[in-house]
Amino acid sequence: MKKLVTKEDSCTACGTCELVCSKTYFKEENREKACIRIETANGKSKITTCTQCGECIDLCPAEAIYRDKNGVVRIKKNLCAGCFACVGFCPEAAMFHHSDYIEPYKCIACGLCAKECPSGAISIEE
Amino acid sequence: MNVEKIKAAHKLLAEFKYTPGKLDKGYANKSLYINVSENKIEAKPVTEMMKEKFTGGRGFGLWYLWNAVTPETKWNDPENEIIISPGPVGGITQYPGAGKSLVVSLSPLTGSVMDSNVGGHFGPLLKFSGWDALELQGKAEKDVVIFIDGNAGIIRIEEAPEEALDSHLLVEQLYEIYADTPEDKRNISVVSTGAAAEHILYGMLNFSLYDTRRKAVRLKQAGRGGIGTVLRDKKVKAIVVKFKGVKGNLNNPADFAALAKTGIKMHKEIHAGDDKQCQMRVRGTTYLVKIMNDYDLLPVCNFKYGSHPDGNKIAAPKWIENFNIGKADGCWYGCTLSCSKVICDYELKTGPYKGQKVVTDAPEYETIAGVGSNCGIFDPQFIIEANFYCDTYGVDTISFGTTTAFLMECYENGIINRQITGGLDLRFGNQDAAMELLHQMARGEGFGRIAGLGVRKCKELFVREYGAGAAFLNDIGMEVKGLEYAEYVSKESLVQQGGFGMANKGPQHDEAWLIFMDMVNNQLPTFENKAEALHYFPMFRTWLGLVGLCKLPWNDIVPENNAQTDEPAKIPEHVQNYVDIFNAVTGKNIDKKEMILQSERVYNFQKVFNIKMGFGTREHDKIPYRSVGPVTVEEYESRQDRYDSQLKELLGMETEGKSTEEKLKALREYREAQYEKLVDAVYERRGWTPNGIPKLETLQKLGIDLPEVVEVVQKSL
Amino acid sequence: MIKVNGRNFEWEKNLTVTKLLQKKNYTFPSIVVQINGKFIPQAQYETALINDGDDVKVIHLTSGG
Repeated sequence: MKKLVTKEDSCTACGTCELVCSKTYFKEENREKACIRIETANGKSKITTCTQCGECIDLCPAEAIYRDKNGVVRIKKNLCAGCFACVGFCPEAAMFHHSDYIEPYKCIACGLCAKECPSGAISIEE
Repeated sequence: MNVEKIKAAHKLLAEFKYTPGKLDKGYANKSLYINVSENKIEAKPVTEMMKEKFTGGRGFGLWYLWNAVTPETKWNDPENEIIISPGPVGGITQYPGAGKSLVVSLSPLTGSVMDSNVGGHFGPLLKFSGWDALELQGKAEKDVVIFIDGNAGIIRIEEAPEEALDSHLLVEQLYEIYADTPEDKRNISVVSTGAAAEHILYGMLNFSLYDTRRKAVRLKQAGRGGIGTVLRDKKVKAIVVKFKGVKGNLNNPADFAALAKTGIKMHKEIHAGDDKQCQMRVRGTTYLVKIMNDYDLLPVCNFKYGSHPDGNKIAAPKWIENFNIGKADGCWYGCTLSCSKVICDYELKTGPYKGQKVVTDAPEYETIAGVGSNCGIFDPQFIIEANFYCDTYGVDTISFGTTTAFLMECYENGIINRQITGGLDLRFGNQDAAMELLHQMARGEGFGRIAGLGVRKCKELFVREYGAGAAFLNDIGMEVKGLEYAEYVSKESLVQQGGFGMANKGPQHDEAWLIFMDMVNNQLPTFENKAEALHYFPMFRTWLGLVGLCKLPWNDIVPENNAQTDEPAKIPEHVQNYVDIFNAVTGKNIDKKEMILQSERVYNFQKVFNIKMGFGTREHDKIPYRSVGPVTVEEYESRQDRYDSQLKELLGMETEGKSTEEKLKALREYREAQYEKLVDAVYERRGWTPNGIPKLETLQKLGIDLPEVVEVVQKSL
Repeated sequence: MIKVNGRNFEWEKNLTVTKLLQKKNYTFPSIVVQINGKFIPQAQYETALINDGDDVKVIHLTSGG
């Protein structure tokens, strides 16, 4: 199963991953539109992104969420009814939404952010 | 099933083409009028006045029906209409419980105006097809199906002689006929009834959705008041809507961000709280059975008692064993409360479909209590079977349960006997007899036809034909206005007696369920408190039906801090959510006060509508004594300590040495007087005369003083 | 004698909230308990003692059905 794995101890919270992600996904550098979120508290980083657990698959009333052949959980936008149940029920709070869009979005383990991460805090695991 | 043959038998009677348009802030601004006598289809404008005064949903239904009928119109006249309307918020996908339709018609049971609330996909798909309401009038010569293609902009009336009548078959056939591919089935919803609706007065409507995971049609019911009977009387087999492309913004809301934010907040609340609270996602409404049994509120043997040692046999754990629990069992997109449970591979044991395996909707609380405990039956398998057949035959499970329970009590009291029932041994607990009664309704045979008249007409018949005593029958016949009671024992809650008795359409709990606030919590000690509760809650709950929302996400889940709010019973945060989503969709700026005002307009209009039809005055709010207190010695003695201590405390009566009859009489006089005092207080709070007529100043203050409304009121003041 | 929701109820020695709920058969999951106006968290139901003469509120939080 392909997924993005995180090492929070190594994260410097530089935010590069967020910008790479939103640029890739939405052609815009805007951390509010990233599929990965970095927060810091008491000098520690917290990285929120999809673990590909698949909880959202059975939850989706439109059967718009599925696991692809690489084990990555993906959204079929054309079927999505935009209810955001998956956003509210994600155990990792890693299903995101932005009011510019009527469908949610999530990490698909493309790995572009990991390539750019200067501290090795994120990487793709096959 | 030979779909090709069925389809080939269709004959086009009328076709109407229109340009599908975008919705504007929750409204299509037009409604669809179909007359099956004249094969006429036309578009009507939805006016600003309608939106201002009636909001939508039930409000629109009442307004159209008001204009369609006269005081002389009967339910089976062609002038009677069935109006289906989802309301301006209906169809949003972000907030749980937003796929509701309200159905309005003149009722075969009450003769007056009826409203019934239903889930399923029809209402939202109708609206996305460009229509705020569907107004169906007339009577077809031969059976027809109405088809609405919301993408192509085509509406057809088609003669449809070959389809089955029973919903589980009919609806599947229609999905086969109108879906272009198997994947297209999710875009279809059907309104239908069943074979029994031709023979009984409490026929109901099924609203379908397609369950993509179980590859099966699911049915939700507009159960109350016999609107399925009206549909069959119009010779309409079904209304089919097809709309492809449901998205989260089709209402074209004024503020999508606010809608998304409020919806997600609610999903998170359910995610965090449902497991600890009602467990609706796993158990649906079946969780209520144990609670009602524990608090002496579960109707047993025609509402004689409120609990039974066998109550646990039909409680939630027994249902979970039978359920095929999914994580997305909502009846519209985004309903994460997900109460609409399913039973798969159920093998039918009786009737015309015996031996077949079906995917069937699971019984809800009302059905379990109605066809189960209230009839003295505590067998889940029977309840599943009865629920399936009620659904497919088009029978309201509440009216069926309450009527059957009444007949069983009549039978045990010798008012009716085997000769009259055609051999049915209608004792409490005889599930074979109850099932046979149901099958007879579908076949239009035997005592099933009598039972299908409902409690009020059965009472009249038994007095007229069999010399039964009217007083006893009126005491035990659980109906008001001709509608059968919903399944809660109200004996120990005066406020709930009023909630049932003064409900506009008849004794359904969708106006008010105040038993805990009143009976258990003792939070409504004065008549003023009681009247205030019987003003606020019915108005609040009416509002849900104006805009297209379900009641359950209001209070079957509550925010974690709800107990610390100033009025926990109202769930203040959820009421604010509703204000927020209404404003987010419509772009209006209502607050909690204006929300109640919107309801008061429609509620008072419905009250005046009842008066227009010759009902609606105080005498029509009279309730059977079985809903107030113990009718019989056995009932009294079963809870003797409770009643004795009340006589001592409330009346200072020395109960020692008194016969049960004497005590019954004293308790009855007291309780009946209390009810009258309650009615006085509620009428005053609602701005009505002591005879239950809205005062002119009330109508003026609410802005619902339309000339035709004022005219009706002036005549009766 | 104690008051439960404003109505008299027989008191007994060592009456805890849990015991009272059992005696009243109050099984509804969503309730708030107060003793003489003081909120009792659910974790203390087993241990919180009710004294003779106390005014107990067991508020059931629903107007549903």
